[in-house]
Amino acid sequence: MSTSRSVGILATRSIRNIRRLPSAFFPALAMPIFNMVVFAGTFFAVTKIPGFPTDRSINWYMPLGIMMGSAFAGVGLGFTAIRDIETGFYDRLRMTPTSRLSLVLGPLTGTLVRVVMMTTIVIVIGIALGARFTGGVLGILCLYAAALGLSTIGAGWGLGLAFIFKDMRGAAIMQLSIFLVMFLSSAQVPLNVMDGWLHTVARINPATNILRLARVGLVNESNADHLSFNAVWGGIVAIVVMGGLSLGFALRQLRKLSN
Amino acid sequence: MNSAPIIAEQLARHFGDVKAVDGIDLTVNQGEIFGFLGPNGAGKSTAVRMLTTLLRPTSGTARVAGFDVVKQADEVRRNIGVALQDAAIDPLMTGNELLELQAVLYGIASNKMKERASELLERVGLTAAADRRVSTYSGGMRRRLDLALSLIHQPAVLFLDEPTTGLDPMSRLTLWEEVRRLNREGTTVMLTTQYLEEADQLADRIAIIDHGKIVREGKPSDLKRTVGDPTLLINVSREHSDAASGVLARFGEMRPTAEGTLGVGLRGGAERVAEVVRALDEANIVVEHLELNQPSLDDVFAEATGYRLEGADNAPQAR
Repeated sequence: MSTSRSVGILATRSIRNIRRLPSAFFPALAMPIFNMVVFAGTFFAVTKIPGFPTDRSINWYMPLGIMMGSAFAGVGLGFTAIRDIETGFYDRLRMTPTSRLSLVLGPLTGTLVRVVMMTTIVIVIGIALGARFTGGVLGILCLYAAALGLSTIGAGWGLGLAFIFKDMRGAAIMQLSIFLVMFLSSAQVPLNVMDGWLHTVARINPATNILRLARVGLVNESNADHLSFNAVWGGIVAIVVMGGLSLGFALRQLRKLSN
Repeated sequence: MNSAPIIAEQLARHFGDVKAVDGIDLTVNQGEIFGFLGPNGAGKSTAVRMLTTLLRPTSGTARVAGFDVVKQADEVRRNIGVALQDAAIDPLMTGNELLELQAVLYGIASNKMKERASELLERVGLTAAADRRVSTYSGGMRRRLDLALSLIHQPAVLFLDEPTTGLDPMSRLTLWEEVRRLNREGTTVMLTTQYLEEADQLADRIAIIDHGKIVREGKPSDLKRTVGDPTLLINVSREHSDAASGVLARFGEMRPTAEGTLGVGLRGGAERVAEVVRALDEANIVVEHLELNQPSLDDVFAEATGYRLEGADNAPQAR
């Protein structure tokens, strides 16, 4: 049984639904654009804070918009799984002899394609609004890597919750957890301007490392994070560890669906 | 070792205190259509979900197509086809796309996939609708597509969970014919239903499940025979009524019937009808109408459970 063929056909199903169910895709695209534009416009003065990593607010908030969009695209896979469980379609998939891994990786691949599309569109709009990639192509690649990594983590988490709850009760936890993880990180301001418990939580929050990775090509050339090995490496480790844990969680809960 | 395609031994599934399936023993033989009959909530679907690897048993064992449903779940999946209740199909996909998806997930080679899909679509009469989204299909079309999907890998054992629920009579007959055809081709079929007629028409053997337990099992004709003798109904002219009653009483116990009709529980069944007619003729009684009513599966069900399946919504729920 070829896992790659199964992954491919399940990903195709997911990608095809972008065209067939645009009402599900366009809000997911509009949200990061909205976040980027509104945050960059509202908090334009944030760059005046001494030591702020960039002199353009859009350089700071474009990655945040993309990260929020990627995280929600990831957990959105949980919503799709809930719909398939409720309609019985997931039983059809589970009754096939294909590997359980492909039942997770197939839809995940479809989600990653959506994330690439969303990231590309937001980057184009961001550049049109004045964003500047100080890190060039490498900086852009880091942003894509962070987006794909965060959506993978979100997807594993969303799928695992979908398999536990099997209905929309899981949806509220998915959304709340994404908001908490994102806003208890360096989403709005860098770590060095945070204080107290928020600083402590943000420092240990893996989302902070992933956001650093996303921003390494957008901060000023003079900033310590600019294409720095530490920022890139820290983000990749966070993605690998958290991605592995969340996909493991999803697989474990999928296998427990029969219990 | 027993080589029957479906064997369950003391198979049970509990949800907390609820014993949805309470230790059933079941054997479905090669080439049979086996009917699993019971009202909603009796445990039919739970039993099927265990046999198709979707649900782990709380206790007991089951082997399907020669493989253990827990320890060899993948092997079981490779050898069974399943059409569950409510035709679980993604409405955004077309018939062709669903068949392709199913074929890939069963590991069917790309060069054989299209041929097999066309063959199945033709078989279930959906060739013209193959490229339409399933959301535009009628209930009957969805059931037929569901059946086609379950056959993509030519399974040895086919599970049909209430395949005709909600279908119009014409669609129901079409599906029954297809099930018979598959069975003639060698597929063993396990069919759950709450329709007595469906079980009677299709099944070689049936099991009646109630409150998670199998309460009767056997050939429909044998089960009906266990309920009692068939009723012979006769209409004669009014002046011959008493004489006819006297004759009939020699063949069994008289039974209450509608006014103007005489009824007798015919000991020995249909074979004795000719004998009754001869006896009436010898007594110069002219028979205007004669009818032999066999006990129905509902009679069997009522005898086994204490209530009738027709209108079983009022039946006590599973423990």
